[in-house]
This record gives sequence, C-alpha cells and structure tokens, in this order.
Amino acid sequence: MAEAPLISFEKVWKTYGEGEARVHALAGVDMSIERGDFVAIMGPSGSGKSTSMNIVGCLDAPTKGRYGFLGIDAGRLDRTRRAILRNLHIGFVFQGYNLLPRTTAAENVELPLIYRGMASGERRKLAMQALGEVGLEGREHHTPAELSGGQQQRVAIARAIVTRPTLLVADEPTGNLDTARSHEIMELMTRLNADYGLTIVMVTHEPDIAAYARRTIAFRDGQIASDTLRAEAA
Amino acid sequence: MLLETIRLALRSVRRNVLRSFLTLLGIVIGVAAVIAMLTIGSGTTAKVRSDISALGSNLLTVRSGRPPTPGQPPVRSNRPLEDKDVTALRAHLLGARAISGASQKTVTVVSGTESLSVSVTGSDTGYFDARNLAVIDGRLYSDAEIRSGANVCLVGETVRQQFFGSASPLGSTIRVGRMSCDIIGLLEPKGYTGFGQDQDNVVMMPLTTFQRRIAGNRNIETIYVAADDATPTSELQTRIEDIIRDTRRITADKEDDFNVRDMTQIADAMASATSTMTGMLSAVAGVSLLVGGIGIMNIMLVSVTERTREIGIRLAIGAHEKHILIQFLVEATVLSVLGGLIGIAIGLALAGAASLALSIPFAPSLAVVLMAVGFSALIGMVFGFFPALRGARLDPIEALRHE
Repeated sequence: MAEAPLISFEKVWKTYGEGEARVHALAGVDMSIERGDFVAIMGPSGSGKSTSMNIVGCLDAPTKGRYGFLGIDAGRLDRTRRAILRNLHIGFVFQGYNLLPRTTAAENVELPLIYRGMASGERRKLAMQALGEVGLEGREHHTPAELSGGQQQRVAIARAIVTRPTLLVADEPTGNLDTARSHEIMELMTRLNADYGLTIVMVTHEPDIAAYARRTIAFRDGQIASDTLRAEAA
Repeated sequence: MLLETIRLALRSVRRNVLRSFLTLLGIVIGVAAVIAMLTIGSGTTAKVRSDISALGSNLLTVRSGRPPTPGQPPVRSNRPLEDKDVTALRAHLLGARAISGASQKTVTVVSGTESLSVSVTGSDTGYFDARNLAVIDGRLYSDAEIRSGANVCLVGETVRQQFFGSASPLGSTIRVGRMSCDIIGLLEPKGYTGFGQDQDNVVMMPLTTFQRRIAGNRNIETIYVAADDATPTSELQTRIEDIIRDTRRITADKEDDFNVRDMTQIADAMASATSTMTGMLSAVAGVSLLVGGIGIMNIMLVSVTERTREIGIRLAIGAHEKHILIQFLVEATVLSVLGGLIGIAIGLALAGAASLALSIPFAPSLAVVLMAVGFSALIGMVFGFFPALRGARLDPIEALRHE
C-alpha cells in the first residue's frame, strides 16, 4: 500500500452566508496531494482556489467534508490546534510579502521561531541560515523598506522555511513582481522543492508561473475543472 | 518570551512617541497628583507631630471653658483661671515636672523707628521647662522679678533681627505696648510651625508683669503642666481635674468649666485630620487615573486596528490567541507603567518643591511609590484587556486581507 497522501480533501464543502445569499465556495471537492509534490492551483476569481488554499494552509476549516493533513483530521481542530499545526508544519508566502514593517529581515525571519519559544541565540542562527538559503546574506539588518520587492519576497520565503516545514503555501507569490524577479523567485521555490522535498501548494493565475509546478489543478465554480501533470514529469 | 514582548512593546511605544505621550498624560497627571498629595501629606503630618512634640513632651494644658463636646460649639467660660489655681496645683499635684501659668497677646513692639507685631507671653519660669524653651544668651527672669513684676523680657530671634540685626539685644530697651522693658535674654530659635506660624516672633516676660502692664487683669489664660517621666499624662489629667474642680468649688453635679488637654492627643487628632484630607485629595486625583485608563483603552483599540495585518501575519505563522493577547496586554501595561514612572518623578519633584516652599520635611514613601507602579500596571492590564482580546480574536484570513 502506498504512503498516505500529505493532503487529502474528501467531499469538502465551504459555504458562506445563509439562505438566499448562500454561496458555495467549494462544492464537494476531492483531491489529494503527495508529500514532495509541487502543485499550482489556478482558476478565475471566485472559483474556490483561495478558499481551498486557506483550508490547505489550516487557516480555515471546511463547512462539510474531511480535510486530512499529515493523516490528521485537520478540519476538526480548534483555532489553537490549527495555529500549532501551522507553526510546526506550514510556511506561508503571500502576494504582498506581508513582512512586519520597520522590523529587520532577520527579525521577520525569526518570528515563527519566537512562537515556538526558542531562545534568541538559536533563533538568530537559524534565521541567518534561512536568509543564506534564499541568497540574502548581508541583508539581515535591512528593514523591508530598504529592500526591493524581490528581496522582500525572499525574506518572506526565508521566514516560511526557517521552521523546516512540511508544506509551503504560496498565494500569488509573484503577483507583485516583474517578470525577471518572478522567475528568480520561482527558481528558488523549485530548488527548495527539489533539495528539501518541500511540498509546495501555490495559487497563481499566470500560466508561465504555474508551469514551474509539477502538477496544475484548475478550479471552476467550486469544483476541480482539470488536474494535469507537467509533460516531462508525467 | 515575556522579555521579548516587553522589548517589542517598548519599540511600538517609541514608534509613536507623540501619540504615546499624549495617551500617557492622563496617567502621568493622575499618578503625579496622587504621589505629590500623599508625599506632601505625610510631610505635613510629620511636621505637625514634631511641632507639637516640640511644645514639650508629656504636656498638658488647662484652659477655662467647658471641654468641647462633639456637635456643640465650644463655650467660653466667663470665669478665667486664676493665680490660686496655679498655686493649688503647685501645692497638691503629684507627678508634674513643671507647672506654669501663662497668658498671651499680640502686641506692637517698638524700638527706635522700627516696629513689629509680636506675640507676647507672660509666664513663670516653669513655662520654659514645660515647653522646652532654652535661653541661648543672657538669662531667664528670676523669682524675685516675677514676684515684683519687673520690666524685663526675653526676645526671640525674629524680634532680634528686626531691631538689632546680628548685634546682641542684651541690655537694650524696647517698648512693648505701653510699657518699656529691658532685654535680659535671647531665646533659642525654633523656626516655623507646620501652619506657617513664626515661633521666633515672640517676647517673654514675667506673668505678673504681663498681667499688670499688658493685659490689665489678673487672669491666666493657660496653665501648662509637664508630666514627669514616671507619670502617664492620662493619670495626671485626672489629678489636675480633681484639684481644679476643688479650687473652683465645682460641685459633683456640675460640669467642668475648664478643660485639660493632652498635647499628644491633639497631635494625633491633627495628624489624622491631615491624613484624612490628603486621602480625600488623593482620591480625587485618582479619578484622573481612571480617565487615563480610558485613554489607554482608546489608543490600544486604534493600535489593534492599525496593526490588523500584522496580527494576521502573526496568527498565520503560528501565534496563538494567547500570544496576541499577551502582546497587546503587555503593550498597554508598558504604556501605563511608563506613565506611572513619569508621574512618580513629577509627583516627587512637586512634593520636593512644596516641602521647600512650606518648610515641611520631604517624606517620600517607598510603599506609595510601589503602589503607584502597581496601580498603573493594573490600569494598563484592565483597560488593555478588551482591545487585546479583540486583536486576539481576529480571523487570520480576514486580518491578512485588511488593508
């Protein structure tokens, strides 16, 4: 028997609103993602791609159905347990970088470790290491305002991987970047996926960005419209 | 972790220096007012106590008039104390170290072209012992001078400075009211009382001289009795009452028409009046602490709203509700404790200035300071709790979407 998938959706529904105004963001989605995979989630706005990403990232819970993460019924966990799960296993990269302003790169990267209760010396060491992995040695004392968009996104990636997570959830990671910077970021993510076996789930609406992924899942109207493997990976 | 949070809170306070300062103002003013009140209050109490004990230890005073009863105005008897009362006490009272009749009047004293309004006291020699007065130059009047009503007097330091500058007043003559008298001694300076009365603006003379030349009658205003070390003042008080009732022929069915007062009791009463007063003023000042607390609550709500996105990030990467709650609670507490510390500094400075101006002792109390710190921390926690909870309860997805 094969190893259980890292992520599994079983008849997952996410419903907003009541009565007439009721909207099904996800309507009975089934999918599974294996450990070490690199998945792009695509689809027009309102298709359910953001909702499914929030559930995958344990930021949200399904209204109905089962969301399994690491074999745990993660959809049934309370807020605090989901927070612990995120801290231990999930790294986030957002479109708008979402770094704390007026806070140095190193401090931003240390942030998830603070919530693990790690001592500051060790925190600093791991943060420097993570910044090194994204190619930002020597920038650790710069604040976001002193860094370019591409560099800010690298800091965000460093913050996401400093905890050595199982899963990296990226929401339009290149949305605010020009083409050259976008491809640099994607190459970095590809490398993390290849070198560490880091599972990546990335939401994007740009096909050339999605092309970096091994598998592309397209959503439409709360359901999976297509699920394709990249030609050479197949 | 807590240290980390405090550092974070301090940084956030530094980022909005002006805003933080304005927020703190309520706490600063409140704490400063309470600290100043309590410090000045305890200084005044200490001063009152030391003044009254300087009047003489174990001192009792006898005056005419019914003892004051609560709720009724004091009644002045038209029957003053007389020489025979003093004589009777001298003859029969046991346990007294010193006994003296004394009367007092404010009279204009003139020397050359200078004049000064001075408190003039006529007394026996026992008065000096009973009230701890000392002669630092010259001599006290003799028994013979008291008997004959000689025109001699002693002056206080203020009187000397007014008429003689730094020169010795001994042997000079001054006019006290309509009599002239020779200065035979200089009294030791005593400074001001807690009520701002100059204790050195005095002239002392034999009681007989005072009665004849100043008052124009044989009345005695006050009899001072100092208890010896072995006799409790309460016991002496009873003995005095018995003797005076006898000399004044007050029958058992009549009330006293004189009163005996224990200076230590008066000291206690005055001290407690002062502390009640300062307590009330402090309570009023405490209201501004409440206002300050509301200010903190307001600014923390603003801060939580402003930093919604930051809260979203923190929640997304694994902060628990508890962490966010603590972060904002610590920030509110740091803010209000900072206000408390500034308030303590200002309050102590005010109290220090006041104690110089009023010449009372500067009596800062560690307990009061610690209480102020604790109380301002409490205010921060109480008023910071609701905004912090609001931040902690945010939905990470909503918070991340917040612009």
